[in-house]
Amino acid sequence: MKAYTITRDNLGAWLDALARDYTLIAPVREEETVSLFKPVRGFAEINLGYTNSTVSPKGWLFPQTEEMFFFSTGGGQITLADAQTPGPAVLFGLRPCDIKGILALDPVFNGAYQDCYYQKRRQDTILVGLSCTRVERHCFCTSMGGGPTDGGGADLLLTEMDDGYGIEVLTPRGEELVNRYQQYFDADRENRVIPAREELGKKLAGQFTRNVDTTGVKEFLDQHFELPYWGELARRCLGCGICTYICPTCHCFDIFDQSPDGELGVRSRCWDSCMFSHFTRMAGGHNPRPTQKERVRNRFLHKLKYHRDRYNLDGCVGCGRCVTRCPVNIDIRQIIADLQEVARHD
Amino acid sequence: MTKCHCRNPLKPYPATIVKIIDETPDVKTFQMVFDDPAVMESFRQKPGQVAQLSVFGVGEATISITSSPTRKGILEFSVKKVGMLTSALHRLEPGSKVGIRGPYGNHFPYEVMKGKDLLFIGGGIGLAPLRALIDFVLAEENRGDYGKIDIIYGARSMDDLCFKYDILDRWPQMPGTTVYTTIDRAEPGWEGHVGFVPAYLEEINPSPENKYAITCGPPIMIKFVLQALEKMGFSDDQVITTLELKMKCGIGKCGRCNIGSKYVCLDGPVFYLSQLKQLPPEF
Repeated sequence: MKAYTITRDNLGAWLDALARDYTLIAPVREEETVSLFKPVRGFAEINLGYTNSTVSPKGWLFPQTEEMFFFSTGGGQITLADAQTPGPAVLFGLRPCDIKGILALDPVFNGAYQDCYYQKRRQDTILVGLSCTRVERHCFCTSMGGGPTDGGGADLLLTEMDDGYGIEVLTPRGEELVNRYQQYFDADRENRVIPAREELGKKLAGQFTRNVDTTGVKEFLDQHFELPYWGELARRCLGCGICTYICPTCHCFDIFDQSPDGELGVRSRCWDSCMFSHFTRMAGGHNPRPTQKERVRNRFLHKLKYHRDRYNLDGCVGCGRCVTRCPVNIDIRQIIADLQEVARHD
Repeated sequence: MTKCHCRNPLKPYPATIVKIIDETPDVKTFQMVFDDPAVMESFRQKPGQVAQLSVFGVGEATISITSSPTRKGILEFSVKKVGMLTSALHRLEPGSKVGIRGPYGNHFPYEVMKGKDLLFIGGGIGLAPLRALIDFVLAEENRGDYGKIDIIYGARSMDDLCFKYDILDRWPQMPGTTVYTTIDRAEPGWEGHVGFVPAYLEEINPSPENKYAITCGPPIMIKFVLQALEKMGFSDDQVITTLELKMKCGIGKCGRCNIGSKYVCLDGPVFYLSQLKQLPPEF
């Protein structure tokens, strides 16, 4: 696997060039406390000092609100026109957990019915990963099979080094991108990049404040659907849905029409949440998940069991966002530990 | 990343309502035809499958296809007015434009039903998905593949019986077919059976031998029908039902209709009772 190095100055110049040639989506600090991925005009707007963005970068591939098509019902005819989709893009600065999040979304939007909107953006987007340099107190990617310097799934992986960044080429698409801008890169003649990344990985592995053992949890959940535990957990849950909005693997959406004049309109989709009571409520009034207990159970079973049953991938990548943002401190790491405890007493 | 060569599955095809049949005070059957004849020709639904109907500007809803695929050139949807989309549909008139995408979901296992007697048990609008299979097995080209057909159908009142032209006139005339009709409470002008469907089923007491029972109706009816069938000796592999769950995308993405790790829009709506018993009780 090829590796290169890039100086800090050249990194800025390269990102400015990327922003000219592609839609460049990169981490930006929006306010004091909110960081997120959004299109930028150049390096000056990018914040590489973040550990984990407040909102996951899934929104580039699966936007929070996305126009699907326009319709016109005038003249007794229905005419449909596709919404514009963005062209070639570079999603820059993805943390390893977020790359894993994208890998968890891929099979959902693939399959017998391919989701054209996601697929188009996914094909057109080059993923550039960025090894972590710190571990936040809510991070637990290593418990979910990942690691702060595991760039698997990205096209390129950048790792910060003393005098700049190391760049590992992970796919042919990544190689093409590097070749296109080779004036900014230096060959890794001393083979420093991979050892530096491995060294960093080892250092960070010791910084996790909490490791959870998921062993046997899925198997226990396979056998136990009804647990009083879900009721206890649900008593705290406000049903605000923040966990689902910031989660890199949550993919639920709603579909809605807007047509102010009744003739021209647009059909869009937007993120939705299984935490909301109306999510499964049918027009006739029947609701298979009528209380927060069923909804909380569904979400955590989705993360720890259903996604694995269906796609053989965990539905949680250990990014810790839901832990950080939950207003009532519902902590999936504690839930895993609690389920282990319940299983021991079973 | 696999390249997407498919047609966008979330985009409906324009269609026209050609006829509307008033079934009950709150149920109408809409006959629809795709505006593009090539789409009409290539839309190959199987009995039990569903489609997404669009009223542009209002939205979409998942509706079971009630016409048999043996009936070419037209699609029928029987729709009870219960929510926003269905109310909007009910306001439309023949000639109105709608959108259809699909067909989605699995289908009744009509291949494995060959050579068997079939017992249909329906309640209210629950007859809609069953009707696709009933007309499929009663179609001249398929009739020889199936044994005796019994249809037990009930509704709250005479007014609430759907497909009266089928249950009272057409189906009883078909060879090897018996139709049992009931309404919940006696009313003037009704000379047929009175009582709930599960009780009527117990009265009729059909033998489970060489037979499949296929049921659809309100959840409470299905619950008691399943109990009655079990009492009569039907095994869990002889009983088939369809599940109704809120669906949005119809293609297993929007995450709404899951029961455990299954999605009703992909893995259902048709389930054997034996499969239902493997699922978490969230339907």
